Amino acid sequence: MIGTLAFASLVRHRARTLLAILGVAVSSAMLLDMVMLSSGMRESFRGLLLSQGFQLRLSPKGTLPFDTEATIRDADSLVATLRARPGVQAVSPVLGGQLHFPLASGAVTAAALGIEPAVQGDYELVAGRNPSSANEIVANDALLRAVGRSVGDTVRAAAGYDAQLRALSGERLLHIVGRVRFIYLALDQRAAALPITTLRAMNGSELDGRASVAMVRLRAGVDVERERAALERLLPRVTVISTNEALKQVDERLSYFRQLAVILGAVSLVVGFLLVTTLVTVSVNERIGEIAVMRAIGVRRWRIVAQIVLEAAAIMLVAAPLGLALGLVTARYLNSILARFPGLPERIDFFLFQPSAAWTALGLLAACGVLAGVYPSWRGASLPIATTMRQEAVG
Amino acid sequence: MNVLLALLPILLTLHATSAQESSRAAEPRSRSIAIDSRLAADASLRIGDRVVIAAAPGEQGDTVVVSGIVQRRADPAEIARGEYRIRTHLGQLQSLLGYGDRVDRFAVATRGPSATTDAVARINAAAFGFRAHRSADVAVETSQTFAVVSRFHRAIGVITIVASAIFLLCIMLLKVDERRRDVAALRLMGISAPTIVRSVVLEASAIAVLGSLVGVGVGLAASWIVNRHYQGVYRTPLRFSLVTGDIVLLAVMLSLVLGIAAGWLAARRLVRTPPLALFGR
Amino acid sequence: MSATLEVVDLVREYRMGDEVVQALKGVSFTVEQSEYVAIVGPSGCGKSTLLNLLGVIDRPTSGRVSIAGERVDSLSDARATEFRLRRIGFVFQRFYLMQALTARENVELPLAEAGQAGSERRDRALELLDYVGLRKRERHRPSQLSGGEQQRVAIARALANRPALLLADEPTGELDARTGAEMIALFERLNADGTTIVVVTHDEVLARAAKRVIHMRDGLIVGDERTR
Repeated sequence: MIGTLAFASLVRHRARTLLAILGVAVSSAMLLDMVMLSSGMRESFRGLLLSQGFQLRLSPKGTLPFDTEATIRDADSLVATLRARPGVQAVSPVLGGQLHFPLASGAVTAAALGIEPAVQGDYELVAGRNPSSANEIVANDALLRAVGRSVGDTVRAAAGYDAQLRALSGERLLHIVGRVRFIYLALDQRAAALPITTLRAMNGSELDGRASVAMVRLRAGVDVERERAALERLLPRVTVISTNEALKQVDERLSYFRQLAVILGAVSLVVGFLLVTTLVTVSVNERIGEIAVMRAIGVRRWRIVAQIVLEAAAIMLVAAPLGLALGLVTARYLNSILARFPGLPERIDFFLFQPSAAWTALGLLAACGVLAGVYPSWRGASLPIATTMRQEAVG
Repeated sequence: MNVLLALLPILLTLHATSAQESSRAAEPRSRSIAIDSRLAADASLRIGDRVVIAAAPGEQGDTVVVSGIVQRRADPAEIARGEYRIRTHLGQLQSLLGYGDRVDRFAVATRGPSATTDAVARINAAAFGFRAHRSADVAVETSQTFAVVSRFHRAIGVITIVASAIFLLCIMLLKVDERRRDVAALRLMGISAPTIVRSVVLEASAIAVLGSLVGVGVGLAASWIVNRHYQGVYRTPLRFSLVTGDIVLLAVMLSLVLGIAAGWLAARRLVRTPPLALFGR
Repeated sequence: MSATLEVVDLVREYRMGDEVVQALKGVSFTVEQSEYVAIVGPSGCGKSTLLNLLGVIDRPTSGRVSIAGERVDSLSDARATEFRLRRIGFVFQRFYLMQALTARENVELPLAEAGQAGSERRDRALELLDYVGLRKRERHRPSQLSGGEQQRVAIARALANRPALLLADEPTGELDARTGAEMIALFERLNADGTTIVVVTHDEVLARAAKRVIHMRDGLIVGDERTR
């Protein structure tokens, strides 16, 4: 009976009900997006960092990995020290640099990663194989397109290029043996990877024995934070950062987005709350006589409240899937804007859909909607019956 | 040079002695450096303190005196960077790093835009191993991040406006609907529909104007709070939020238009319903 | 047999700004089981106020009201609601049916509130609609019924939980003479079948149909006569 009355009331004012559903849907879409934004980056970044199983990263003291051009001196002895530790399963040194590929029309410049192919964790092989000798290189699609080459071809590359003199330094003929996708680079960023010794040699004495970062994979069961602290004490020239530390840094740098998410999410909730409160208040005010009659014939107050709250809940129920769909569409759109951050790894999503996020958003909104409906309906159902009926009769 | 600046935390060996403690064996006259305010705060350094700067940890380096504390620039590109910065005499840094007679870049001030164009062309024609760029072009390249953030904000703004329009229409419809009986009584008395619509629109306009004023006030307050907060978080003088006359005008015009449109739509809907139907008969 | 309704020194005052208005100034009477009583008087004499107090939808300033042996003047809200549901049937001048419900659903409403199961509810509702002659209109909504038909549905609703007392406030007030006469006949039938009825009315014809008439003026009972 209560359900029938609630449904009938909603159907009686179709335009109002539809607008309210739309309003709540937009509210829930925004709320969902903000919940996704507040946790998306972090989780996306965590997934990225752990994708290859490296829990620690070592960089020059006071810097974050690849945050600056600084390099670690005597990197080979550092790597040997790390490999000698019982808790360490694998160490991947990486040297960052640039390579210039001279073409008839000029030179194409690309990021270069010097790696040890056997333990590297910077790219995934799409076609071909890893470099196995000094003059072999792998490249991503962006670079292959730019230089007009494919797997199996050779290409001239140099570590230094002077645009004024059009002169190359550290030039070599390299054999492209694989097509790869770089995990930590942007999709459109031209990049190649080659043996670290080759990249060092091409740069001459400047980068001799150096590395930009060393990534460390620990054995199963090793306490990551304890090992991190031990390495920091053992190696004063480097900063050792764990995944958690890296995430903290990311949180700090991108705290703006999280705070924006909280603020906009709160605003969405408040607006949704106000909308439902207004809807219920108007609905109750219109039916104040009817409510008084129901009370007069013996219908309990909580049942009347339940009927009205049910109307609010019905609007929420219909609006929720609509809001979910709208939220996912707008999240995709907003993500596509933010994905254009220069240098952002391809795999980072700002808006990451997690079912728990959807439930959180919908749960919050449902709670808000119910709360919004309770007070005005309780107030309406608590008016003095005789006075209300007399006023309604006169009105 | 950038390397050095980035490595400052380990380079700065903090032998912060006060100027009065120089009664040791006579020291050569120390050169001075300027440090950024963040470093001064974190390392508790004051003007007059002596510190040692070196190219790598453990090296002998140079003893210098802190002669100035520099406020960080309001540069968006720097806000999220945690590194410290110091300013030294050029020759001293070149010597410390073994850089020789090299610099990373130099800046040229010209006497106006046409002089800039001319200077860029002449420098590039004669340059040997370097190129000249306009500062404005460099700024465009380095502010790509903020172009993205700008676009994001704009998208959020559009979504918010659309959402607000829907909410406004919904609420206006509800509130105008509440007075259906009053409207019915007026219609039965002979008051014309256009008169009723005009009165509702007038009311909606008044609410929109008031709402806009309150909104501008809230926006100004929120902008102040945002700036204070993020200036503290990132320790920068950069202004994150700027409320300009154009923005205020846009916001007020938009809310007026939306408010009046919502009121008009709601009123029209009501006057099109026969009066007796409004009474529920 | 104890009286179905017992009213002792009932007073009801309203505060209107600084003024205190005494709608009832001390009313006392009893109504026995199966009595049919009409309360008459000029506008503003307090008869509707009295009916509201008897219907436990208002509280007296002082005095005592007992219905079917239970004191009802100081019940809690929850208890008063329960009492109204199970022991009192109220018929209003303006019918006050739920526009969104059909005739049958309107009659079922108090039955559902009393916790009756679906099929029992339905049967009882149809039985009552049959009693008032509207079985064939069970699926019609109030907007599809005439004034007289709506009032009959309202009466059926009021009888749903077999109340000890049926109260009616100007039941023929919104009806034309012919329909009003049909309503009067229905009330007579109800009373003949054992329902205790108290009616407040301006309608002389309705008042004459009652077996006892209580006259009120200025918040007091000024006359109490048996007409049959």
